[in-house]
Formats: sequence, structure tokens, C-alpha cells
Amino acid sequence: MNFDSYWSAVDEELAVISARPGLDLVPARTTDEATSYTVRLTSTGPYRVFGHLSIPAGDGPFPALLRTPRHGSVNLVPHPNDRSRYVVFCLTHRGQRLADEGFSAAYPGLLTMGIDDPASYIYRGIAADCLRAAEFLMSLDEVDPARVAVSGDDLALLTAARRPGFSAVRLSELLFYRATEARLKSSRYPLEELNDHLRAGSSAQIVDKTLAYFDPVRHASAVTARTLLAVDDPDWCAALIGALPAASVYKLTHLDGTDNDFLDAWLAELSGVPPMSRFLV
Amino acid sequence: MRDPENAIVEVELPDDFDDFWAAGLADCASYPLDPVLTEMPSLSTDKVIVYDLRYTSYGGLRIAGWYTVPRDRPAPHPALVTIPGYISEPTIPKEWSELGYAALAVAPRGKLRSNDVFNPGYPGLLTHNIIDHNTYGYRGFYLDVVRAVEVLLDRPEVDDLRIGLQGSSQGGGLGISTAALLPDVIRCVAAGAPYLCGIMTAPTLTRSYPYEEINEYLRVHPEDADRVRETVAYYDGLNFAPKVRAPTLLYLGLEDDVCPPETGFALRRVLTCETTLHAYPHCAHHAGLPGVMRIVEDFLAEHLTPGR
Repeated sequence: MNFDSYWSAVDEELAVISARPGLDLVPARTTDEATSYTVRLTSTGPYRVFGHLSIPAGDGPFPALLRTPRHGSVNLVPHPNDRSRYVVFCLTHRGQRLADEGFSAAYPGLLTMGIDDPASYIYRGIAADCLRAAEFLMSLDEVDPARVAVSGDDLALLTAARRPGFSAVRLSELLFYRATEARLKSSRYPLEELNDHLRAGSSAQIVDKTLAYFDPVRHASAVTARTLLAVDDPDWCAALIGALPAASVYKLTHLDGTDNDFLDAWLAELSGVPPMSRFLV
Repeated sequence: MRDPENAIVEVELPDDFDDFWAAGLADCASYPLDPVLTEMPSLSTDKVIVYDLRYTSYGGLRIAGWYTVPRDRPAPHPALVTIPGYISEPTIPKEWSELGYAALAVAPRGKLRSNDVFNPGYPGLLTHNIIDHNTYGYRGFYLDVVRAVEVLLDRPEVDDLRIGLQGSSQGGGLGISTAALLPDVIRCVAAGAPYLCGIMTAPTLTRSYPYEEINEYLRVHPEDADRVRETVAYYDGLNFAPKVRAPTLLYLGLEDDVCPPETGFALRRVLTCETTLHAYPHCAHHAGLPGVMRIVEDFLAEHLTPGR
């Protein structure tokens, strides 16, 4: 199956499954600044995924922020700084905690689950979960459709590539970019999973074929939004930077207080809200 | 303007603090450790043998871990327990074994593979039964790390005199508590951005999780503030710190919104052991990562002498 057909099939599966969102108020996380909810949505499978939603107090519409899931069992609740400024939706994909009824993702294990067949690769469903989350967020009346951002790793880029309407994309900690080369650099997880999987007898050619569907470079040309790529090594990321139509690059200093503030301010400016540091002074 | 180094962070020491933890250790001792190691060839490499580990801990719960041993170096090995952060799962510690350590990455109760019985979720662990120190979720969690050290003491390929602890955030906080509960065993502790120190002060200095869980709990249950304070005093690293005898490396981010630097400096003040502190301006919860890892590796190597 070629690249476009693979992803069109995901869209078609989503199109025939109603999201049926269910929202529950979270009093402990509801303040003068924002109202918080837990959300459940149906994605492909069908599978019920989870998310934390927060809507600022006051009259909208508000800028919105979708946070795609990190690689790990737990996703954070929207930070109070973000809750006060954005409609925030933090997705928990299938298999992560709070979305693990019926399937609990393994760490290590998730990155290579079903990887020997692109059609069964777990990240096909995870990507669908992110696309469903984008559809949900953009459907909310409180969201200003001209100011919708997505933040995260490769899943954020993929989401922005496949769903129109994002005005800003903030990328960091890429997982799939040049993964077949990066896996050779250390025994650090999660990429070490690829080495484990190949040691167990799988074919590098087959694994590479599956990963190619998730290669951010192949998705990049479809991202029309302003994009910030926060990376350690711009040279290593040159292919991706070159493929993104509207990319700017932030070279991480690893003074993470400084880095966090820069990334916050970049999105705040595009969204028309004040920058906020998480470190209170 | 904040002055982290000189900020006052106080925690009341419960009268029965030592008895409380002695009782927890006694409960653990009432169960056979019963460690079961299963070699995992598909996860092992030409340099490192990987085992799935299960053992019995507080309350009789079975706890999981990943245990790795250098393949190409002669035993006995120095050993490390690596302790996970609040939201992270323990990864297979191959990199430590590549440096010459037998390494045990513990998954305390509630972490994946150790959550069949106890599963408070995330968020949730920090406030699980937080109004009762006897049943607070962290009680078993703390003791699961102690029992992980006991697993190492049970291993013939481990040099009992060269066991250290390493972790950041929750891993740093539990490094302090574990070293305090096993002062005759632990030879060194590397603790980054230590969490669970100044537990009631920290939520007043930040809006970030996990401490924000306490703010949320008290938003709904303001009447429980005293009981929360009473409970967490039993678990506060500042109360464990004076009992630590092992040389300790601390590293902090001076703009850490997750574990406020005030609490890290407070820890330093109450540690009476040999302590080295690195405080990094403009750093948040990474506390100097990735560069600080070279300092951590050198510190552990100095005290545990891999390759000796």
C-alpha cells in the first residue's frame, strides 16, 4: 500500500466512526481561571481513548492547544498556566493509563508492537487517536478556529499534516525521525526496542518499511502552519527542516528553564496570549 | 524575588517516625523475598544479560523490575538500584551494565507490571489515602525500593559492599529515603531534583504537577489540611535525611518548577553525610541533564568502582 493510500484508509475508518464524546467535570481542577473535564472519545477499532480538557473562564472564543501524547504510560494533566490561556486538550492514546481498558501498552514494547506489518502497527491506531482528538478540539464552540495549535513529537506533526486548521505547530523530542539510524547510536530506550526486535529475528527491511509511513519528513510538506522545531542538533534534522514549509528552528540549550520559557513564549505570541513561565518568581 | 538557598522549609518530625518505618520493614521481613529472575534473551545483548525480576514486598505484593548484569566482566559486580520518576516507567538499565554495574530498575507498586493489586493511577499516587499515614499509597512504594536493595544483597554476583542508588525527581527522593532505611548497606546516592522533600511547602511554590495534586486535593477537601500534613511528615525526605550515612550527590535546577529548588537546598541543609551539591542556573526539572550525567557517572564510579 502506498503512503497516501495508507493514511487515506485511516481517515476513512475514522469518518465512519462517531466520536461520541463524553465529558465529566473535574471539580478539583476547576478554578476561577478555567473549568476542567475528563473526556472519552471513540477512535478507530473502535477504541475509547481519554483526554484532559480545560476551558478558560470568561467569554471566548479562546486560542486552543492540542497536546499529543508523549511516549510513555502517563500523560500530564494540562498545566494551570495553559489552562488559563488556552482551551487545552491533552490526549491519552490507546493503551496509556486512563485509556487502558482492554489494552495496556508495554514499556518497552509499544514502539514495536505489530511493526512487522504496517496495517497492524500499533502506531497506526495511535495516529488515528490523535486525528480524532484534533477533530474533537476543533469542534468545540469555545475554540477560535484561527488560533489552534498542536504541540508534541512526531504525532503532532502528523496530526497537523493530516488535519487542516492548525495555525501553529510546536515540535520537540521526535521519535520516528531517522529512527533506523538513531537506534544504532546507543542502547537507550525507546529506540532500543527496535534493536531488541531485530535481535529477536525480525527483518530490518520490513521494520524500515513500516516506519517509513511515520517518517515525519514524508508528512512535513502537508504542514501549512507556522512550525517551531526544538532540537539538539539542527544539522541532524536538516532533512526535516527543509521539508517543512514554514519552519523555524530552536536549538535547545539544555538550560531547560530557558528552553521552556522560549517555547511557551513562541506559542503565546502566535496565539495572542501572554507568555508565562512555569517557574514562579 | 525568591531566594531558594535560604528559604525556610520546615517539616515536623513525628514522634513515632522511627517506629513507623521499623514496623514497615518488619512487615516486609515477614514475607520471603522470593526473587524470581527470568532471563530475557530477546532483550539481552552481547554485552548485557537482561532479566525480568519479580519479588515480594510490603503487604505481600509481588513487585517487578528489570535486572541487568554485565556479560563480559567478572563478578562480583558493584550494583545500582535505579528508581523511576513519578510518571516514568523503569527502563531496562542496559547502559549502567555496559559501564560495569549489576543494575536493578525497580517498578514500585502502581508502576506497570507491579499494578495488579495497587493501581492509584497518575495523577493519583501522591494523594492516595493521603489522610492516613498508615495506608498512604507511598508506604509500600517506599518499601518496594528497600526490598529491591535486598534483592541485590541476595545475588551472588553482586558485591554487597558496593551498592548504590541512582534516580532523579521521585527517584532522587526515594534514594534519600532508601539510604536512610538501609544506612549500613548503601554506599552512595545520586539524587537529582529530589521530590518528596518539603512536601507541604512545595505546593505553595509551584503550580506544576505532581505537587499540584495536593493543591487540587485541598481545594476539594480543605478540612483535611492538618491530616495531610501529618501524613506526609512520615514520608518527607527532610525527616529521612539525617539518617543517611552514604556519600550523596545532589543536583538541582534553580528554576525547577516541578521540585522547587528551595526544597533541594533544605535537603542539603539537613543531610549530615558527605554531600556534594551542584545547582544549575536557568535549569528546571532536568537539573543539568544531560551534561550532569557525566558527574553522576563519575560520582558512582568513585564510590562503587566498577571494573575493579
